[in-house]
Amino acid sequence: MNTRTRPAVRVLQYLALAGYLIFLGFPLLWMLTTAFKGPKELVELHPSLVPEHPTLDNFVTAFTTQGLAHSAWNSLQVSVAAAVLTVLVSLPAAYALARFRTRLGSVAIGWVLVSQLFPFILLVIPLFLILKQLSLVNTLPGLVLVYVVWSLPFALWMLQGFVRSIPRDLEEAAATDGASRMQTLIRVVVPLLAPGVVATTLFSFVSAWNEFFFALVILQDPEKSTVPLTLARFVGIQGVVRLGPLAAGAFLATLPSLIVFGILQRRLTSGIMAGAVKG
Amino acid sequence: MAIITDAPARPTQAPPGTRRRGNGYAYLLLLPALLPVVLFSVIPLLNGIYLGFTDSRAGFNQTTHVTGFANYAKLLHDSLFWSSFKIGLIWAFGVTFIQFFLALGLASLLNQPLRMRWLARTLALVPWAMPPVIVGIMWRLIYQPDAGLLSNLLYKLGLGEHSVNWLGDLSTALPAVIVVGVWAGMPQTTVVLLAGLQGVPAELHEAAAVDGANAWRRFRSVTLPALRPVIVAITSLDFIWNFNSFGLVYVLTDGGPAGKTTLPMLFAYQQAFQYGHFGYAAALGNAMVLIIVALLAVYLRRRMREATQ
Amino acid sequence: MRTSSMKTSSMRRPRLLGAAAALSAAVLVLAGCGSGSDSGSSGKITLQFSSYAWQDPTVKATKDIVAAWNAAHPNVQVKYIPVDPDSVHDKLVTQFAGDSAPDIIHDEAADIAGFVKQGYLADMSKLIPADLKSAVPQGVWDSVSFDGKVYGAPTLLQSYVVFANQSLLAKANVTAPTDANPWTWDQFQAAAKQLTTGGTFGLGWGLKQPTAAVLSMALNFDGKFVSGSGTSSKLTFGDAEKQVPQRIHDMVYTDKSLSPATLGMSGSDVLPGFFAGKYAMIVSGNYTSQQMVQDAPSGFQWTMLPMLKGTSQAQAADPQTLSVAAQSKHPSEAAQFIAFYDNAQNLAQLAQGDWLIPASDPASKLVAQQTQGKNGWGAMATMGKNLAVAPFESATPYAQWKTETATPDFQQYFANKLTIDQLGQKLTEGWTKAAANG
Repeated sequence: MNTRTRPAVRVLQYLALAGYLIFLGFPLLWMLTTAFKGPKELVELHPSLVPEHPTLDNFVTAFTTQGLAHSAWNSLQVSVAAAVLTVLVSLPAAYALARFRTRLGSVAIGWVLVSQLFPFILLVIPLFLILKQLSLVNTLPGLVLVYVVWSLPFALWMLQGFVRSIPRDLEEAAATDGASRMQTLIRVVVPLLAPGVVATTLFSFVSAWNEFFFALVILQDPEKSTVPLTLARFVGIQGVVRLGPLAAGAFLATLPSLIVFGILQRRLTSGIMAGAVKG
Repeated sequence: MAIITDAPARPTQAPPGTRRRGNGYAYLLLLPALLPVVLFSVIPLLNGIYLGFTDSRAGFNQTTHVTGFANYAKLLHDSLFWSSFKIGLIWAFGVTFIQFFLALGLASLLNQPLRMRWLARTLALVPWAMPPVIVGIMWRLIYQPDAGLLSNLLYKLGLGEHSVNWLGDLSTALPAVIVVGVWAGMPQTTVVLLAGLQGVPAELHEAAAVDGANAWRRFRSVTLPALRPVIVAITSLDFIWNFNSFGLVYVLTDGGPAGKTTLPMLFAYQQAFQYGHFGYAAALGNAMVLIIVALLAVYLRRRMREATQ
Repeated sequence: MRTSSMKTSSMRRPRLLGAAAALSAAVLVLAGCGSGSDSGSSGKITLQFSSYAWQDPTVKATKDIVAAWNAAHPNVQVKYIPVDPDSVHDKLVTQFAGDSAPDIIHDEAADIAGFVKQGYLADMSKLIPADLKSAVPQGVWDSVSFDGKVYGAPTLLQSYVVFANQSLLAKANVTAPTDANPWTWDQFQAAAKQLTTGGTFGLGWGLKQPTAAVLSMALNFDGKFVSGSGTSSKLTFGDAEKQVPQRIHDMVYTDKSLSPATLGMSGSDVLPGFFAGKYAMIVSGNYTSQQMVQDAPSGFQWTMLPMLKGTSQAQAADPQTLSVAAQSKHPSEAAQFIAFYDNAQNLAQLAQGDWLIPASDPASKLVAQQTQGKNGWGAMATMGKNLAVAPFESATPYAQWKTETATPDFQQYFANKLTIDQLGQKLTEGWTKAAANG
């Protein structure tokens, strides 16, 4: 973009951005400093931001007492599988919903709506019964399938919005060049959808990584616990929280999603650049 | 990507836009999504909708009778339902509205060629990356009257020892949870809007700039129209999500104090899980679906019209 | 295997779909499949035992008990399934509805009442051995009995007690009461007033969940709230029931000795202020001793006072329980494990881990002996005798009334938005409404 921005405006932009980041990011910082505090520092009436006597005990406790590492491995498997499956299934469907007017299409839109509107908490029991019929209770694949279906409405809704924002002329131009529909899809549409696909992957990964309630009812064996279940065990009766290990565990649990995003966010730009060049 | 490359190329394919052949393709593309959706979403949904017309209750070997609209007649006179509905509307409108404008501002900033943009983009995602279980607990600690972060900020700014119980006070509880709601949903909205902004072709901007349009005019005449489908999609989804929000407020206040933050879904949860009134809770779910669809109707009609253009 | 049929049926369909189905099938296979069945071939059975044991020593004690049992009973293996305390109820509701409940269920008396009514728990009356039956006081058995049948074995109990900052007591010339001579509410209120100075409130009380605390302590004045049983039960809000809420209200608004901000906090939220001398005393569950020992700043002098007295020191018993699921295929084996879990040695271990009162007398004696009465254990060992069933616990409308009426209305009353008579009226109306819902 070669429109020039005045320096004063730039400064304001940086200030505004800093404001946003403080609002959005300070809990993470707080969690980090909390994770290094000992039990006595955690109950001070006026706690300092920087730990006075930093300790690694909380991290040790988080890993040794509750098996956080093993839960993280479970969560990673489930989240990656859920994210990949969601994208694979929703991409073609979203294209179909955006580009063709079929009866199934309007049914699908109706379903997307109702599934988001109906209180999920009331679906837990019927869903549990179906999973049980399929012997998928207490299995990670069962959880993956639930997460895929759970992410699909948003994935479809979002992706078809992106498909719609791609000018039809681009596809039609490619088609008149003699490209087949599939070639058009792959060469023209998919690159332009890259930002949408990245956002969808991220969305399904993060929602699977963080989901609590389905995991709670579907999984039984402690060996299959996902991270949120394990973290919840740092909270006891009557709101008593084992804050130190919880903060340590929660900080570590937040990192993978942030790292995935840190890597993928560049794709948001490069995807669209590639699309523009090819178009 | 394997799915698509797997399919055979057909050189003689008709161009997009022809209806009859297109439909076949559409079904083909929709099918992979269909199987899991029917099994794990449609069936439980139909089951849930059906329960709303029965007297289903939790219980061993309990028999269920179809009661037609009895649940709905009861709902009409349930003052707790109406109060939760009102709170739900305040919450959903408040959160969605604030969230959208804040997120649009942030997305525009993140779309500027600022230094360290990658870091800012990553940090903007913190609320999303944090497990919701933790989010609730953490904000509870931030709002805590004595040792909480907020009270301490006031204390360290020299404003004295404030024991405001943000989540426990009848007047501050709802605003306090709305702030958390906005915080928690910001990243999702921002990411979608940012991706939408990047979908706005740069040439359009340049053309407008050559024509002498200033930044605000370019935003109004170029960016906003191009962004509209994404805006419509994300705000409707945000509204629905917020209206249906459950976990966050459950952990923060559990509907208290004095029911001031009892959202409709919290009410439904209490009916189903705490008292075992499955039928009544499902009826409430059905009523919610209808009411929200009606509220969104105007919005959606506009969307449908765009879709047919 | 489910996945193979999914795969073959889709083979005939276009490849696009086939690929997707194959992919999902692959994921299913990849992540391993099927849950283990609960009974093996050679007569060996496995019982699932879900437990919300939380404190590290309690978790360890629980694991030790399970391990000891498993070593002694090769044919009846117990599998320990941890749950976080907040999720116990929700998980059970789902599992009961899905016919997948664990055989042995760790819960609490107030919570099992609903499950008993729904028929999900087995009648244990005939499964409990005589020595366990006689070890636990009848008043505690009553809290887990419904229509004369026993649905859970009580394990640990809590009571509401006053903790005091000893140096602040000394500074204000307040003498702490003794076990023989406990404070009455009047004395307690006077002390709180005396302890209130510029920056210090006499009392902080984390009353975020007011219902259980108020109803339990109302028994101090013989305030029973509920009479009758089942759906025909009635709620009374007379002079006896008014005592505790009225006194709390007075301390906040008349004496100004109770910090109003603390009323919306949870018990542990109040601790930083207590440690910092902002509150000279707090009311909390006796298990808070554990946090005192662990988190209090060095040199901080705290003490746990004897239970407050109105006309008596009575409080409601709401023990933790172990129950057998009605859906369990092995109820008698499950009950045998429960009896083993509940023996004096085991219970003494668990009680010390959680800082709670053991439900059985032999276990209480053992705890007093093992701890030599330190850190308030001496007082705790004798608290059990004041705890007995309260009529509200087993009344059908209680759960709904508590959430929809009592908790919000007590909160309004303590926020000074209702008068005591308005409170009474709302509580009574709410009970009638909840009773009509069954």
